[in-house]
Amino acid sequence: MTAAALARTTGAELRRAAGEARGAWSPAAWVAAVALAIGLLVPFLGLGLRMDALASTVYLAVAATGLGLTVGAAGLPSLGAGAFVAIGAFTSALLMARAGWPLEPAALCGALAALAAGLISGGVVRLRPAFVAVSTWLLAWLVWLFLFAFPSVSGGSQGLIVPERTLLGLSATPTVHYEAALVLLVLSLLAIAAVRRGAFGLELSALRQHPPLATSLGVPLARRRLGAFAASAAIAGLAGGLSVQLAAVADPAAYDPFLSFKLLVAVLLGGAAATLGPAVGVAALGLIGLVSDPLARLLQLPLERFDTAVAAFLLLFVLALGGDGIIPWLSPWLPRFRRTRPPVTPRQGGRSGTRAALKVEGLTKAFGGVVALDGLSLELAPGETAALVGPNGSGKTTALRLISGAMQPDGGRVLFGGRDLTEAPTRERVRLGVARTLQTTSAFTELTALEDVLVGRSVRRRYGGGIRTALATPRARAEEPVARAAALNALALVGLEQQADVPIPELTSSQRRLVGLASALATEPHVLLVDEPAAGVGAEELEPLARVLAEIGRQGVAVLLVEHNLRLVRMAAERMIVLAAGEVVAEGTVAEVGESELVRQAYLGAQRL
Amino acid sequence: MTIALQVLISGLAAGGVYGLFAAGHSLIYRLTGIVNFAFGDLVGLGIFATLLVLAGTSPVTQAGAHEPRFLLALVVGLACCVGASAATYFGLVQPYLGRGSTIGWVAGTVAVAFAIRAAIGAVFQRSSYVFPDPLPFHRVGRAGFVGIGGAQVQARAFFVIGLALALALGSAWLLERTRFGRALRAVADDGEGARIVGVPVDLFVGLAFGLVGALAMLAAIAAAPGEAVSANTGTLLGLKGLVAALAVRFGPPLYAFVAGLVLGVVEAAIANVHLGGWQLGPAYREVLPLLFVLLFISVWPSREALEERE
Repeated sequence: MTAAALARTTGAELRRAAGEARGAWSPAAWVAAVALAIGLLVPFLGLGLRMDALASTVYLAVAATGLGLTVGAAGLPSLGAGAFVAIGAFTSALLMARAGWPLEPAALCGALAALAAGLISGGVVRLRPAFVAVSTWLLAWLVWLFLFAFPSVSGGSQGLIVPERTLLGLSATPTVHYEAALVLLVLSLLAIAAVRRGAFGLELSALRQHPPLATSLGVPLARRRLGAFAASAAIAGLAGGLSVQLAAVADPAAYDPFLSFKLLVAVLLGGAAATLGPAVGVAALGLIGLVSDPLARLLQLPLERFDTAVAAFLLLFVLALGGDGIIPWLSPWLPRFRRTRPPVTPRQGGRSGTRAALKVEGLTKAFGGVVALDGLSLELAPGETAALVGPNGSGKTTALRLISGAMQPDGGRVLFGGRDLTEAPTRERVRLGVARTLQTTSAFTELTALEDVLVGRSVRRRYGGGIRTALATPRARAEEPVARAAALNALALVGLEQQADVPIPELTSSQRRLVGLASALATEPHVLLVDEPAAGVGAEELEPLARVLAEIGRQGVAVLLVEHNLRLVRMAAERMIVLAAGEVVAEGTVAEVGESELVRQAYLGAQRL
Repeated sequence: MTIALQVLISGLAAGGVYGLFAAGHSLIYRLTGIVNFAFGDLVGLGIFATLLVLAGTSPVTQAGAHEPRFLLALVVGLACCVGASAATYFGLVQPYLGRGSTIGWVAGTVAVAFAIRAAIGAVFQRSSYVFPDPLPFHRVGRAGFVGIGGAQVQARAFFVIGLALALALGSAWLLERTRFGRALRAVADDGEGARIVGVPVDLFVGLAFGLVGALAMLAAIAAAPGEAVSANTGTLLGLKGLVAALAVRFGPPLYAFVAGLVLGVVEAAIANVHLGGWQLGPAYREVLPLLFVLLFISVWPSREALEERE
């Protein structure tokens, strides 16, 4: 591309972005802009505030805002945020004090060190939230004990003296630090708000609400959570690396596990559900400090003990009131600034591409000594609908789990379009076109129907990563309407396009099941594994369900239907595979198998087809 | 050889206390699926309540622990520890367990931990205190030290090891043989099932919270006169108990107790053992086991610790 062409496209892109920004400008944006302007002017208003205390509070707010991504969006109760602040602070302090570095690169290295620590300890994001809390608690103590055990690194009880520095060309006075911290806070708030509103945030939220369902739709659990965890760590490290110069000394005592606790209190006090919550929580803690510090002096109590007690009791108070935090409590009284989304039209026409056959050879799985599946082999032609039936415990759901990758078989192979998928992770299978719905009536209950289905677009997004979402790159933004159109298409296929913006809790249970089906369809599968769609569905709702399944088949999607309800099987399926005690006992057209007296008596009971 | 014996005995004495904390963490995890982050501090509360009754907030010397006064102090301390532990369960754990809110009990127990640290720090404002000794160990041997195989060991160490073993075996007996213990094991296996067959689950789990606190507190107090106590004492003991319990993946309480013993010996060995010219030294004593367990659970998590797949 020539320089002129590059300039032209850049110009066009900038004009488009400006246009979008004008479109998105709202009363909320005015309020925010005015608040920021006042914030920036505070040092020059002659209010007699202690700028160093104010600046360090804003740095704390930056770290808390970062933690909000881990605690609020990802739902991981991290007790170790202070450890990352400490890592950033001591890396930066060592580089400045021992190697004579300027502040900016030293603070950046602090952020990188915290990022590295976040990535190294990031294995914990695969764990349940309870174990995430345990391991981050250990991390907080580990870093603190390390600082005390190794005075050669931490400067011991005196700490490391940090020399004077400049910040962005200005002498790093508290006022300069305050302005820099405020800009950093605004940038991190904007980035996190963009991430939480975008595809990355949606997937984090799905993983928080229902990990198995999100995973079955191909959302990469470890990668998404690690992204959030490491980003929180890096932001905390940057805040630590800058604020340590403001404090002029890196004192290990200031980075004890109470710092981690205080950050968590700020997040929960302000409200983990809101991007702005953690910063509001820090502000609230600061305001309470203005009252409680003179009180502590009056009572002649040690100040830091008193702060600890205040934070602990505030947290207990918030928990007693339901644990939502300030912003969610205020939200009924806050004016609503609704963003209107441009209407999307469903894309017309079916999907193209080669259709591949699914082939399963000799799948075997045992749990302990119980053989759940004993050498299951089956084939599913492109576009075919087959039913897998059999009594309870005959291994139907196990078969679906093995085919979809939720579980590894003890033996046998899963082939799709000639590729061996036996070892492939779920996300890879979903990407190639093998999707599954879960047996339970499961949907993400904090989302609307359309958002729920959008989770299924995870594997089809190319620019949905955290960094692109945070920067709102042109490609990431261009991808959004495409994803929404596809999701709406999937909802239309199950007949719920009118309910697109209805929150899941307001849907009936059979509608929720259909939303689950639409989410799986949104992954654009070639083979759809459907687990008991009719469980708990009334007789009058069977026919619409059968129509939906037939329509899915007409779109060229092969369906493997696990179902107890034989009426639905007769209406929807062409072929039937009967499973008993982990083995195929009969196979053929629905009519043939229905005729077989043996099968009917032994495995289908008295129910007539 | 001398040093090995010294390391072993002092390590076992420290480890006996860790072991009771580990067994407590393990039992609570198996009963409720939660980790009580306030465990160490709840025991710390009991220790300082005992100290308050025994000697007030003045710095104390080894003398001055009359037996009746000591018993009264111990009873008050135990009551504080058991009461606060049970209150933590009923107030901050059980309500959130019912709602399935992890952040609720995590934040609740951590808040209790820091509230207790703050309260202890507000009343006891020195950085550390000497715990009075009711038992005349200083008269045994040479000023409380006895020689075994050439090694000089605190006579108290044997008492601590013995008491810790007795408490561990006693509680194992309790779990194995009594109605209460069998009910607890039923709750650990299947809480809902136990509730259906008529076990008063909440009451028994609340009692278990108090009981593990009391056991750990007795061991900690037996060891307390050996070194200075501070608001960090309980917290760090709780942390080490957690490390030991995690090392056996919250296995049966007796396994966790043994893991605690091992942790004590490992710490003593890290601090003292020279291998040729190579020595880790005391700086690594607390850091290394913590690092090891952190890596252990993040790299090789148990199936139970992993996020639910389905």
